Amino acid sequence: MTSNGLVTNIQRCSTEDGPGIRTTVFFKGCPMKCVWCHNIETIEADPVLVWYAVKCIGDEACVRACPESALELTPDGMKINHDLCQVCGTCEEACPTGAMKVMGTNWSSDDLIEELLRDKVFFDTSNGGVTLSGGEATYQFEFAIDVAIGLQENEVHVALDTCGYCSDKVMREMLDHVDMILYDLKIMDPAKHEEFTGVPLDRVLANAQIVADSGKPIWIRTPIIPEHTDSEGNIRSIAQFIATKMQNVERYDLLAFNRMCTDKYTLFDLEYPLKDADLITEETMERLAEIARQEGVSQVAWSGMTKNSKIHITNDEQEERPCAN
Amino acid sequence: MTINESKTPIIEIWTHSDNLSKRVQKLRDHFYTFHEREETNEPYAFTTGTDWDEVYTVHDWANEPAIYPFFASINQTLKSMAVKVEIPENYWEFGLPMRRAIFFHEVMTRYMPTLILEGELIVGFNFNTALSRSLNKSETKTRNKEMKSYFKEATRLNEIGVGTASCVPGHLIPNYAKVMRVGLKGIVEEYEELLKGNLTPKHREFIESLILSCKTAQSVSVRYAKKAKQLAESETDSTRKEELEKIAEMCSRGPWEVPSSFWEALQSLWIVHMLVMAAESYPGAGLSHGRWDQYMYPFYKKDIESGVITRELAKELMQCYWIKHNYVYDYQGKLGLNQGINSSFGQLMTLSGCGPNGEDLTNDLTWLALEVIEDMNLFEPKPNVRLHKNTPQDFLIRVSEMVAKAQGSPFLMNFDEHSIEGMVWQGVPREEAWDYGIVGCLENTMQGNDRSDTVDVNINLVKAVEFAMNDGKDLATGKQIGIKTGDPLTFTSFDQFLGAVKAQLVESIRLLTEAGSMADTIRAKYQPTPYLSALMDKCAQNGKDVNEGGTVWNFNTVEGMGIATVADSVAAVKKMVYDEKKTSMSELVQAIEANFEGYEELRQLLRSKAPKFGNDDDYVDSIARELSMFWAKEAFKHKNSYTGRQYRAGYLSWNYFIPLAPLTAATPDGRRRGEFISGGVGAVQGMDSKGPTASIRSVGKLGLETIPNGASHTITLSPSMVKTKEHVEKLAALLRAYNKVGGTALQINVIDSATLRDAQTNPDAYSNLMVRVTGYNAYFTQVGRELQEEIITRTEHSL
Repeated sequence: MTSNGLVTNIQRCSTEDGPGIRTTVFFKGCPMKCVWCHNIETIEADPVLVWYAVKCIGDEACVRACPESALELTPDGMKINHDLCQVCGTCEEACPTGAMKVMGTNWSSDDLIEELLRDKVFFDTSNGGVTLSGGEATYQFEFAIDVAIGLQENEVHVALDTCGYCSDKVMREMLDHVDMILYDLKIMDPAKHEEFTGVPLDRVLANAQIVADSGKPIWIRTPIIPEHTDSEGNIRSIAQFIATKMQNVERYDLLAFNRMCTDKYTLFDLEYPLKDADLITEETMERLAEIARQEGVSQVAWSGMTKNSKIHITNDEQEERPCAN
Repeated sequence: MTINESKTPIIEIWTHSDNLSKRVQKLRDHFYTFHEREETNEPYAFTTGTDWDEVYTVHDWANEPAIYPFFASINQTLKSMAVKVEIPENYWEFGLPMRRAIFFHEVMTRYMPTLILEGELIVGFNFNTALSRSLNKSETKTRNKEMKSYFKEATRLNEIGVGTASCVPGHLIPNYAKVMRVGLKGIVEEYEELLKGNLTPKHREFIESLILSCKTAQSVSVRYAKKAKQLAESETDSTRKEELEKIAEMCSRGPWEVPSSFWEALQSLWIVHMLVMAAESYPGAGLSHGRWDQYMYPFYKKDIESGVITRELAKELMQCYWIKHNYVYDYQGKLGLNQGINSSFGQLMTLSGCGPNGEDLTNDLTWLALEVIEDMNLFEPKPNVRLHKNTPQDFLIRVSEMVAKAQGSPFLMNFDEHSIEGMVWQGVPREEAWDYGIVGCLENTMQGNDRSDTVDVNINLVKAVEFAMNDGKDLATGKQIGIKTGDPLTFTSFDQFLGAVKAQLVESIRLLTEAGSMADTIRAKYQPTPYLSALMDKCAQNGKDVNEGGTVWNFNTVEGMGIATVADSVAAVKKMVYDEKKTSMSELVQAIEANFEGYEELRQLLRSKAPKFGNDDDYVDSIARELSMFWAKEAFKHKNSYTGRQYRAGYLSWNYFIPLAPLTAATPDGRRRGEFISGGVGAVQGMDSKGPTASIRSVGKLGLETIPNGASHTITLSPSMVKTKEHVEKLAALLRAYNKVGGTALQINVIDSATLRDAQTNPDAYSNLMVRVTGYNAYFTQVGRELQEEIITRTEHSL
């Protein structure tokens, strides 16, 4: 079966998205709208036009080319009228520098599979493969399944990186065609879950059970977000869930919050809600990991950027040095 | 992320070990305190005393355009400081090789100092010379005339930016393995046997010059024995006294004998090696050990098994041996910063690799050598690890760990299967090619029987594009350097344009190889080096000096610069002018003539819309392959009939991509004059953005078997990619994949925060640098400045 789907990026040589060396496919569209999302360009299902200020040379080829007159270059930057914009891509074509970019590229599953196979040799030597991520791959499940089938036919290991919010039917179908699941458990308080992610918790937990019962290897992840998911209670609950309800969890990773996505938000005229939040400290990450271990989860680890009291500042100390002997 | 680690480890800056013994620490410090120490290995010049004498050779250095303006003054300085050597009365009756051997003998046995540093366990200090070329008056006259013609042409080609042509010493692996196996006396026995045959007087005298040279080496060792004995006599510390007596004993036996211990093997090998530099009057660039861990192993094994030494002592001996090699940098003396240390000298030590049937040859000494490399953190001897499909996993992990920890690269890696294909392609039998060694940085060569020059001729491939677009004329000066390929506006098809580029490549190769051959011939005629010839197979039998082509393998190399720039440019013309007609040839030619001033939109279009090499894009990669194989095969057609040296291709571009930049006009890939051309087989700076796997795949498509000298490929990683044990395993897997689909040689740089800071101001140089966070996609230079700051300050801690 072939089908088409929307992808925002294909990232080769990914080292953090599953075992081995992987290519991560970022699917466009996600049922959740997490407050802290670091891939905001992947939330909306439809393609969207963005403008990279740093690349613009002000030639206005895009403005002239736009058939909908949706563009205007003002002293405050490029103004895109998203109501008029049909995301036809004419401006992207005309733009000499790549400042105008359509987020979301249409791929046929066959073409995508062929593209992903380019790194097969690296998958083979590292026991890696392809990770279906995003956004949310299950949001375009027919397309995701076609891609997974094609990859498995070529003996490529497929991992699904999912937020878990989809119908049970879709989840079961996806499970049939992937080798491993990377599953997010973000927040166990139902009210907070709905508040922070936009969707109810129960579906996510029910799917977690389905995944656990599938027998496939599972890696669980929790993004540790200040003021949102970083409480000891939250981690304890998640760990308890894992320890009691899920077998085949090979590892549990706590992912420290970072603010690297701030620039991506400005592409959408939005401000990253957590742009001023402090990074998590090493001590906190360690403490939360220990809590998880205490609940009986084996193989707990944490990663990411942390706030460190031993920051090494290289420029500030100006030593006096002699200029002559 | 390692499961059992409780926190992300801090990246340590690779520096020398805290565990060095006091002795080794002291010796290491001695080397690094050039400006304070008394003893230096600066060059000593020696002359026959005639008023026509020459002590310097321009073609030895002409691969370094930066010093062209200084040749005359260096020449004068050396002459004026040259000490007159007493030569025998019948000196001028001998042929040139014997004169050279006699002169070398006199200098090394009577004039060069014999310093032994405090605490040294391996001795042999001064080896930097500017020796008389020992030419008689008429030889000098013809040599200088030929040198002048050659240099005129070399300068012309250099100034226009076509490339450089030279004839550089070093860059080979003498048959050290044989010296270790049979001693110099074994080699001399062979030569004396040959003398019993029916030989021409010239041939006879030549062999005698080889024998004399071997005896010179022994005499030098004996001088050091005497010195050590002297020092022992007045030494009050009993341990040191014993050491000096041992050194005296070993040096008396010297390289003449087969070494009776590992220590003696190191000592003898050092003397033999340093004397090559003395004999060539060239400070070691490229003079390489070959597969050191193979031929030194029997000595190590025997001593360890019989308890003569412990592993710790062996290690300390090796550390002392290591330090010796760095005194090559004293050559630059009070000139550059940091004692002029850059990393370019390249006395290469080849470690590990495959055997004749694909089996792995790693041994205990290989592992110990890696420890020494890690502990010492010195520039020389440069290690190069040979990797192949049967490299054991534990060794590969160790190699990957060392790469991951080092700032900058601890060593290069050569890949056997691809390297062997190149050797076979150029004519080395497959049954022998497995035993190749590496010289310089990454240049593949056979051991003990191969004087294949590796950095002599360097071609600016990009110039061919400039010529093709300007009917063979240099754009800046209007000079007709290339051939006339016609007005580009008349090229109605892409094939015509491509044909013009190829024709220009043919012409540039012709010009450079002819100039290179001039230098090669001058060296053959006027610079025999009998000491080196004595250490190379077949010279004695052939009666020919190694520089005359006397050994078994004699290739010359044309190193290609800018293959990615060329591929990108040709692809841009194909796509934008001919396929999609986004611009016309007329507009493009005008834009290039204007250096893109007033054509910024077009320039950006060419940069962003035409495909770039290094991204696993078949459109441009197939063009790269076609052009690469084309010029490589063209180079292979050229030979210097005087020496039989045949040209073959390489991709070691060193730092030429910098000086060639202003000499090369703007190019259709959107590059302006003055912007760097691409280096090695890497992408144009800023143009690769799909990560290391894509870069590797592009390189693998080039058809590198036609590039027998080897291809330089650098991958830069941020510490986040190698921070844990699990990551190191991924790096090892990357190397295994490289062995399958990549090139011949790889250098991996894991950068530090200082380099990341540089990335902020020079983002193009790091366009392919990745920071990996789970589930997140970003390239460093696309992250905003504030966040870049954050990443930089946190690099050494947690990213």
